[in-house]
Amino acid sequence: MFANLTSSMFVLGDYTSSDYAWFPENASTFATDNDWLFAVISIVCVLFFVPIAGALFYFAYKYQKPKGTPAESNTAHNTPLELAWSIGPSFFLVGMFIFGAKAYLDHRTVPDGANDIGLQAFSWGWTFNYGGGMYNPELHILLDEPTKLSMRSTDVIHSVFVPAFRAKKDVVPGRYNYMWFKPTVASEKVSDEVLQQAIDATEAAGGSWDFDRWQFTQDGYRFFDLFCTEYCGKNHSNMQTVVVVHETLEDLNAWIDQYSKRDPKMDPAKYGQTLYENRGCKGCHSLDGSKVVGPSFNQSYGNQRPFADGSGLVADENYLRESILYPKAKIVAGYKPVMPSYKGQLSDDDVYSLVEFLKTVSMYNKDAADENSAGVDPEDQGDEEEKAEAPAE
Amino acid sequence: MSTIEAAAENAHDAHGHDHDHPSFLAHHFDTPEQQFDSGKLGIWLFLVTEILFFSGMFCAYAIFRMLRPDVFEGCSQFLNTKLGAINTGVLLFSSLTMAWAVRCSQTRQNKGLVAMLASTLSCAMIFLGVKAIEYSHKWEMGLLPAGLFTFDQNNPHPETDTHYLFYICLPFMFLLAGVVLWLIISLVRGNEFHVKCAKPLTVVAICFFVGIGLGMILESGDSSHSEEEGLEEEVMMAEAVELGNESVLQKISRDDTNSGAKSELIARARQSDTAGTSIVQEGQIISGAIVSVEEDVMTKRQAGVFFSIYYCMTGVHAIHILFGIGFLVWLLVRAVREDFNPQYFGPVDYVGLYWHLVDLIWIYLFPLLYLIR
Amino acid sequence: MSAGSIPSGNQIKDPGYPTSSENYLTNSKGALSWLLTLDHKRIGVMYLIGVMTAFFGAGLLALLIRLHLFRPEGAVFSGPEANNWYNQVFTLHGAIMVFLFIIPSIPAALGNFLVPVMLGAKDVAFPRLNLSSFYLWVAGALFFIAALLASRLDTGWTFYTPYSTTTDTSVILATSGAFILGFSSIFTGLNFIVTINTMRPPGMTWFRMPLFLWATYATSIIQVLATPVLGITLLLLIAEKVMHIGIFDPEFNGDPVTFQHFFWFYSHPAVYIMILPAFGVISDLISVHSHKRIFGYRFIAYSSIAIALLGFLVWGHHMFTSGMGPLTTIIFSALTFTVSVPSAIKVFNWLATMYKGSISLTTPMCFAISFIFLFTIGGLTGLHLGTLATDMHLHDTYFVVAHFHYVMVGGTLVAFLGALFHWWPKMFGKMYNETGGRISALVIFLGFNLTFLPQFVLGSRGMPRRYATYDPEFQTLHQVSTYGTLLLGVGLLISLVVLLRSLYKGERAPANPWGGATLEWQCTSPPPFYNFDRPPLVGDPYDFSDIFWDSENERYVTIEPDRKIAPVEQPEPVHAEGNH
Repeated sequence: MFANLTSSMFVLGDYTSSDYAWFPENASTFATDNDWLFAVISIVCVLFFVPIAGALFYFAYKYQKPKGTPAESNTAHNTPLELAWSIGPSFFLVGMFIFGAKAYLDHRTVPDGANDIGLQAFSWGWTFNYGGGMYNPELHILLDEPTKLSMRSTDVIHSVFVPAFRAKKDVVPGRYNYMWFKPTVASEKVSDEVLQQAIDATEAAGGSWDFDRWQFTQDGYRFFDLFCTEYCGKNHSNMQTVVVVHETLEDLNAWIDQYSKRDPKMDPAKYGQTLYENRGCKGCHSLDGSKVVGPSFNQSYGNQRPFADGSGLVADENYLRESILYPKAKIVAGYKPVMPSYKGQLSDDDVYSLVEFLKTVSMYNKDAADENSAGVDPEDQGDEEEKAEAPAE
Repeated sequence: MSTIEAAAENAHDAHGHDHDHPSFLAHHFDTPEQQFDSGKLGIWLFLVTEILFFSGMFCAYAIFRMLRPDVFEGCSQFLNTKLGAINTGVLLFSSLTMAWAVRCSQTRQNKGLVAMLASTLSCAMIFLGVKAIEYSHKWEMGLLPAGLFTFDQNNPHPETDTHYLFYICLPFMFLLAGVVLWLIISLVRGNEFHVKCAKPLTVVAICFFVGIGLGMILESGDSSHSEEEGLEEEVMMAEAVELGNESVLQKISRDDTNSGAKSELIARARQSDTAGTSIVQEGQIISGAIVSVEEDVMTKRQAGVFFSIYYCMTGVHAIHILFGIGFLVWLLVRAVREDFNPQYFGPVDYVGLYWHLVDLIWIYLFPLLYLIR
Repeated sequence: MSAGSIPSGNQIKDPGYPTSSENYLTNSKGALSWLLTLDHKRIGVMYLIGVMTAFFGAGLLALLIRLHLFRPEGAVFSGPEANNWYNQVFTLHGAIMVFLFIIPSIPAALGNFLVPVMLGAKDVAFPRLNLSSFYLWVAGALFFIAALLASRLDTGWTFYTPYSTTTDTSVILATSGAFILGFSSIFTGLNFIVTINTMRPPGMTWFRMPLFLWATYATSIIQVLATPVLGITLLLLIAEKVMHIGIFDPEFNGDPVTFQHFFWFYSHPAVYIMILPAFGVISDLISVHSHKRIFGYRFIAYSSIAIALLGFLVWGHHMFTSGMGPLTTIIFSALTFTVSVPSAIKVFNWLATMYKGSISLTTPMCFAISFIFLFTIGGLTGLHLGTLATDMHLHDTYFVVAHFHYVMVGGTLVAFLGALFHWWPKMFGKMYNETGGRISALVIFLGFNLTFLPQFVLGSRGMPRRYATYDPEFQTLHQVSTYGTLLLGVGLLISLVVLLRSLYKGERAPANPWGGATLEWQCTSPPPFYNFDRPPLVGDPYDFSDIFWDSENERYVTIEPDRKIAPVEQPEPVHAEGNH
């Protein structure tokens, strides 16, 4: 605790040794404008503040008198002086306003030919739509190319904030908002070996590797933070993702291909698990039976689901599919209809993989399922044993 | 409480203000004029806050009407213009009696004052009675705020076990029973003051049911039953002419609150008597247009929001009427007690201003909600 | 003339001390005589106790917030519900501080005590309404407590839809509480406007009013004009929650941004409800403790009114990133800059007042100096936020948190404390320990800066607000901030001890311990329940030329030549002219 205090006292050290004294890294075209304007305003503020504070303390010291001493002067007003200090600062204000508004218009004017990436925000996560059925929770963009985000929210208001780009925009349900930026710094990529070495070294030294702390993604890219800055509930502070800037289009496409769809050879249930962890399911649905916001997945597939309207049904593929794409169609009793629709955020194959994953984690009659591992007619909604399907086809 | 009064008296004694302080003048004021001016400024400021309070809802109204003019037009058909108009008339009349009451209080006409206050109160009650008919009818049809909206245009009058009208009337029945009981007891006891208070209040309480009756008559067509039956027959005939191809206009007109649609239908039926079958085609053309609007409009997402705004605005207005009734009853009792005189009539004036404002807001609500077509 | 000397041959005017049957604190006894009192001074004292309790509670919540943020993963709350706990704590901290403390602090608690006395009136225009405002405040507070006991509140004090309409927590209870508090605020404002307009005694013209009254008048205008809009907004929010009326809900074609417009239309002017009375307090404090006429009285008075009116036009600057059209955004930015001018005028005027004054560094003066320092920082950092481009980066980060705490805490709270120390002898008739008071002012100043200066840097580095956990790179600055909070807490505790101790051990206060020229110093400390025997003789509120230090009795006295004695009978029509 005391060591902390000492270190915090040397916070100034940060400002000489670190790249980001006042700001995070300067990584977009906006950043330069913003930092310059911020510096100008700060200098003007200091220009005003230092004389004010100086005069304040100097007067308090200089004119301190014993009680009963009359004031040296009793000037009631001096109109020219007062007009001067009323109007004088206005010129600075007009300047700030003009520069600020100009730079703001830049934020609002998307250049022609910007790459358009769809963004869907939900509590508590992000889905980026790269087109062609490619969805991913991470934002990967191209160096020196303007990128436009077309943003919508499925539940409450969120806000996209990339400090390194100095850009921010709310994502409001019921309307599309947009923002754009042009990254100027590419993300460094370390090879898997180097990363592994660093992890090993840290663990050997008794620590545990923290990707977030060292600002590296799992696949070795140094990233910029993307925060949600509009308070959106419980996991607001965990609603973060990463922005990675690729140097070449090939690199970017390769990455998107690799991570945004299932390798045909990959086990769908395994890929489903990745989706579960990355795409926001995890925030509301547990795997261990505990009740979070939504029902736990360990009682999903193959179990009798009682609905809020009194009806019920044994969860099968169709039901799970419907619940992912149209979550408000059937509400499990005891839960609120708060889940956003994933329609347009998951490709067909993604939904398939998720359903496969759910089958592997759901606590239904597994033994029976193993015995009847034959495929099943999706229209058959009768016996739960019959509906069981092998985890992998 | 006694300590405070004692303290206040103490204040007077200690500072010799009591000799020129009439009983109605609060101890911290110097003159009746000062007291009156303070009250007047206070009530005007209060009215400003009231206007701003309503302005929020008018803003919401403006935003939604701008975004969805068709919804507002489509839905305002469900509001009965006749009921709205009669309520407007009733409130305007009450404003007149209120202004007259202020005049009476200034000229020391106590009997007139009591009579005028009682008439104002009666008008307020009639207003509420008519409003109760309007509300209960819409609730039965499921024309509710967005979240509760259940209206189904194929079945505009679902069978419900809930007697909304009865529940609205219930508190007023108790009120009436209470006032009558009070009147009887004070008559038996011979307490003149209480009799004087209870008599006009009984009339006032009855007026709510007058309003209910008035509303019922108006919303069920024109005036008499026989005519209404005749009307229904005509409607049936018109339906028969269309051979099952039922026009939306008829559907709407079957809803009793829609006097407008109904009268149009009557007109058409009469026309068809004289002009043969040509009317049917015309009707179909018109109905086609309405159907397309209807299908868009009569959903939770659309009409629901209109009715949300309708209930918020008229509901908050009705709450203001209720508060006004409270103030007026207080004035009535004080008027019976002969508290007011040309030097001291502030409270009547202030409540009068409040009442005029409430009327004024209705004058805006009526065209904005009922007369959109 | 030399220090401390009283010119001879003139009449010394000093009201002396009140008898216990005159003293408003003791003239009637029993709990009911307080609970049902119509005396504005007692109502003021009850408000004071109320808002201090609310402040204490919300202050503890602030401490919890800062302690939790000591570690990136959260130091206080743990387990799966940790984030929910944090969210509820910061929500309640904000809601209680705003609705139960800052808004009623100076206007309701001190204003109730001071407005009639400073004005020379016997009471406010509507004493019963005044008492009912207090009970509405209590009712509102009870609703907040009920919300806390039911299922708490986690929407942030701004109640943004659609989060507030979908969360399970007791939004309805809390918004009902805020709705009721709104009416408390409206009635107080209405009462003050009418009081100042119609209750001024003969001779009290508009430009003889102390600046505190000008500030209160401006504040009251905002309270009366802005609060009803909050009322209807909250009512619609409740209706939205209960019946899904769909006005703010995108599911029914509604627009959540409409709620933000409605909400900030009130809540931005509400920011000036919080800071304007502080301006008034500081104007009086600086002038009295510098024993010098306030510089530029009319500029200060008019700038209060200007702020009150301009404050209605700038609400959009809370929504620069929410998706308004670019033109609207730019217009709101321009209007925002215009509000900064009147605030700057005041700072310069205060400095000019101190220049060549005769400054006594009493506790209230220390708070006033500290106010000017902190408020200037708060005001200047507002420029970064009003400038559109930089706001794109700073909006909803810790920079905003630091900025408004510099204004609300460094401004309003410090002014409130200064005012409390300044008028404490008048309110309770006791002098406190001056050294203790000054130490508390210093500790509060240091603790406050240590808490919130690092947050500016946190914000510009990109730390978003309302985060229960944060990235490790922000840790150092968060820790500095937490240490600052502890220091700030110590400072506040010292203040509390100094004040409470004075009630038991303090010396009896003279009528005029600081040498003020406004009317409240002309009645005894504490004032008699009737305030003034007869309409007081009203002079210039900032003319200190006939006030002298009586070192023998440790008090200031007013010296008047014999001829200046007021006529006993006032001419009748004079006060009517006062309305012009």
